Amino acid sequence: MQNESTYVLLADDDEDDRLFFKEAFEAIRIKTIVKTVKDGVELLNHLAVNRNKLPHILFLDLNMPFKSGMECLMEIRKTDYLKHIAIAIYSTSASEQDIEDAFINGANVYIKKPHDFDTLRKLLEKVVTINGHYQSSGLNRDGFLLSL
Amino acid sequence: MSKYSIFLKIIFVISLFILLFISSISYKHANSLDASAELLSHSYKVQIQLEQIQQLVTDAETGQRGYIITHDSAFLTPYFNGRSQVAKSFATLKNLTANQPYLQDDVEELEKLIDLRFSRLSNSLLVFSGPQMAELLARNMLSGNKLMNDIHSKINQIKDLEKANFNNHQIKYKQEILFTPFITLVLLLFTLFVFILSFIRINKDLTKLRKSNDKLLISAEAIKQAEIIGEFCISIWNLKTNKLTYSDNLYRLLGCEPQSFEATIDNFLKFVHIDDRQIITTGVQDLLQKHETYSRFYRIIRNDGQERFFKSTGKFVENIGYSTHISVIKDVTQVHIDNLILEKKNRELELSNKELASFNQIASHDLQEPLRKIQTFISLIAEREMSTMSDSCQNYFYRIETSVDRMRKLIDDLLLFSRTSKIDKIFEESDLNQLLKNTLLELSEEIDQQNVHIECALLPALRVIPFQIEQLFKNLISNSLKYKKQHSEQIIKIECEKVITKTTPILNIASDSTYYKITVTDNGLGFEQQYAEQIFTIFKRLHSSDQYPGTGIGLSICKKIVENHSGFIFAEGKSGIGAIFTIFLPAD
Repeated sequence: MQNESTYVLLADDDEDDRLFFKEAFEAIRIKTIVKTVKDGVELLNHLAVNRNKLPHILFLDLNMPFKSGMECLMEIRKTDYLKHIAIAIYSTSASEQDIEDAFINGANVYIKKPHDFDTLRKLLEKVVTINGHYQSSGLNRDGFLLSL
Repeated sequence: MSKYSIFLKIIFVISLFILLFISSISYKHANSLDASAELLSHSYKVQIQLEQIQQLVTDAETGQRGYIITHDSAFLTPYFNGRSQVAKSFATLKNLTANQPYLQDDVEELEKLIDLRFSRLSNSLLVFSGPQMAELLARNMLSGNKLMNDIHSKINQIKDLEKANFNNHQIKYKQEILFTPFITLVLLLFTLFVFILSFIRINKDLTKLRKSNDKLLISAEAIKQAEIIGEFCISIWNLKTNKLTYSDNLYRLLGCEPQSFEATIDNFLKFVHIDDRQIITTGVQDLLQKHETYSRFYRIIRNDGQERFFKSTGKFVENIGYSTHISVIKDVTQVHIDNLILEKKNRELELSNKELASFNQIASHDLQEPLRKIQTFISLIAEREMSTMSDSCQNYFYRIETSVDRMRKLIDDLLLFSRTSKIDKIFEESDLNQLLKNTLLELSEEIDQQNVHIECALLPALRVIPFQIEQLFKNLISNSLKYKKQHSEQIIKIECEKVITKTTPILNIASDSTYYKITVTDNGLGFEQQYAEQIFTIFKRLHSSDQYPGTGIGLSICKKIVENHSGFIFAEGKSGIGAIFTIFLPAD
C-alpha cells in the first residue's frame, strides 16, 4: 500500500500554513505522504539529498525568506533530474503578475490560499486527483489558476 | 516701393523732356525774331542802296543837264563822282543780295541799265561838243529819258521783290509766334498737371510711408518692451558682412548699459560661464556647417556677478535679401529654478507613490495573510468543534465570523480601489455590450435569486480598459440590486445615447465634442438628492451596515474608473422612487 501513496512536499515558511496543509491532507481520503520544509534553500537541499525519492507534487509558497518560490521554480526547471516534478504554486497572492510569471516559468498549477479550511481541503484533493493529468498533457493556461 | 520709384522716374523724364522742348522752342523763337530783325535791316539796306543808286543817276543826269544849259563844268561833278559811287553801291548791293538769287538777275539788269544810262550821258557830253548837237542831244535825251524810266521801274521791281520777300518772312514769322505761345502754354499746363499729379501721388505715398514708419516704430517699441518683459533678446548675424547686431536688452540681461560694448561673439563669451563657453564655440561651428535650427543652454555670469541660466535658439533667414542668422536668447533662470523645484517635487511624489505601492503590498499580502489564517481557523473550529459549543458561544463565534468577513471585504475593496488608480492602464477597443454581458453573467446568481428585471439597450464599442468597465457595470448593478424595495420587482434599465457637449449643460464643457451617455436607472429605494455627490466619496455610506452591508468603496471605484476614461459620472435620486446613475464616456 505504501507504493500507492502520493508523496507531496510543501515549501512554506509559515508554520500555520504548514499546519493547515497537513491537516487538510489528513482529511483527504487519498493516501498521501506529506512532508514540509521551511524555505527555498532547505527545499533544494532536501531534493538534492533525496534524489531517489522525489515528490510527486511539489507545493511552493512564493513569499519565502532566503530563496523565493519563484527562484526555486526556475532552478528546478533548469535542473535535469528535477524538471519533471509537478509543481503547484501555493500562495496568498493572486496578482496577475505572479500568476503570469509562474506560468511562464513552468509551474503546472496555481493555488490561491483560500480563506476557509473546507475549500483548502477540496482544492488540495483536486490537485492530487488530477496529478497524472499534469504529467501527460502540456501546459494549459486556461485552468492554470485552480478553482473549485 | 519699386513701382513707386519707377513712377517717379517716369515723371522726371517727362518733365525733363517737356522743359527741353520748351527751351528749344524758346530758342528757336528768339532765333527767328533775330532773323526777322536782320531781314528787316537787310531789306532797308537794299532799299537804301537802290535809292542811292537812283539818286546818283538822277543827280548825274540833272548835273549834266545843268552843264548843258549853263556850260558850267561844276555841274558835271555828280556825273563824274556818280560813276564810282554807283559802282560802290552796286558792290554793296551785290553783297547784300548774294543770298537772294532771284534778285541777282534784276540787279545785273539794273547795273546794265545804269551803265547804259551813264554811257548815254557820256555820249551826250560828246555830242554836246560836236556838230548837230541839238538834234543828237534831243535824241539822246529822249532815249535817256526812256532809259531813266526803265531804271526807275527796275528799281521799283527790285524794291517790290525785296518787299515781297520781307513780307513773306514777316507772315511766316507771325505764324510762328502765333503758335509758339499757345504750344508753350499747353505744355506748361501739361507740365503743371504732371507736377500736381506727382505731388498728389508723392504726398499719398509719403502719408503711407509715414504710416508704415509709425507702424514700424510701434512694432520696434513693442519688441523692445516684449524683450524686457519676456527677459529675452535678439542677436542678428549678417553672414555677408559677418557683422553682429545685439538688441539693447541683451546688454541689460548681461547687466550692462545698452550697446556698451561691440557686438562680437568674443565679447559675449566673456560673460558666459567658463565651463559653458565650449557650448557656444562648438555651437557656432556646428551652426556654420549644418545651418540647422538649434537650442542651447548655458550659464551666464552677469556684470554684477550674478549667475543666470540662458537659452539660445536660432534660425537662418534667407528671405530678407541676404543670408542672416537670427537667434533669440532668453534668460530662463526662473524656469530653470521652477524646473528644479518641480523635479524635486516629482521625486517626492514618486517616493510617496512608491510608499503607497508598498502600502498596497502590505494591504494585499501582509494584512490578508493573518486574516486568512483567522478565517481558516474559524472554519476549522466551526467544522470540528461547533457541536460541542454552548449556544451563546456559537452566537459569539458567528459574530466573530461576520466581522472578519467584513474586514476581508473592506481590504479587498480597498485593494480594488487602489488598483483602479494604478498608472498602467491598457486601453483596448471593446464592445461594451459584451462587457455588460460578462458582468451580468458574473452577477447571474444574485439576479436569479431576486425578483429583478434588467433591460439593456445597445451600447457602443469604445476604447476602454475592459476589466474596469466590467467593474463599473458590476458595482452599479450590485448597488442597484442591494438597494431594492422588498416585495416588489426591481427594474434596472440601462440606456445609451450619443450627446454633444454643447447641448449637455451638466458637463459644463465649452468645446464641441461627443460623448456617450449611459444611464443606469432603477426603481429601488433611491436616496435624497442632497447626497448625490457624497455617495461617490470613499467610505461614505447612507445606510448602516446592519441594514445594508457594504464598505462604502463601490461607488468611489465607479467614479475613479469613469475618471480613468476621461468621463463623468452623476447620480440622481429620489427617496423611495429610485436612482439614476449617468455616465458620460468620450465617443472618440
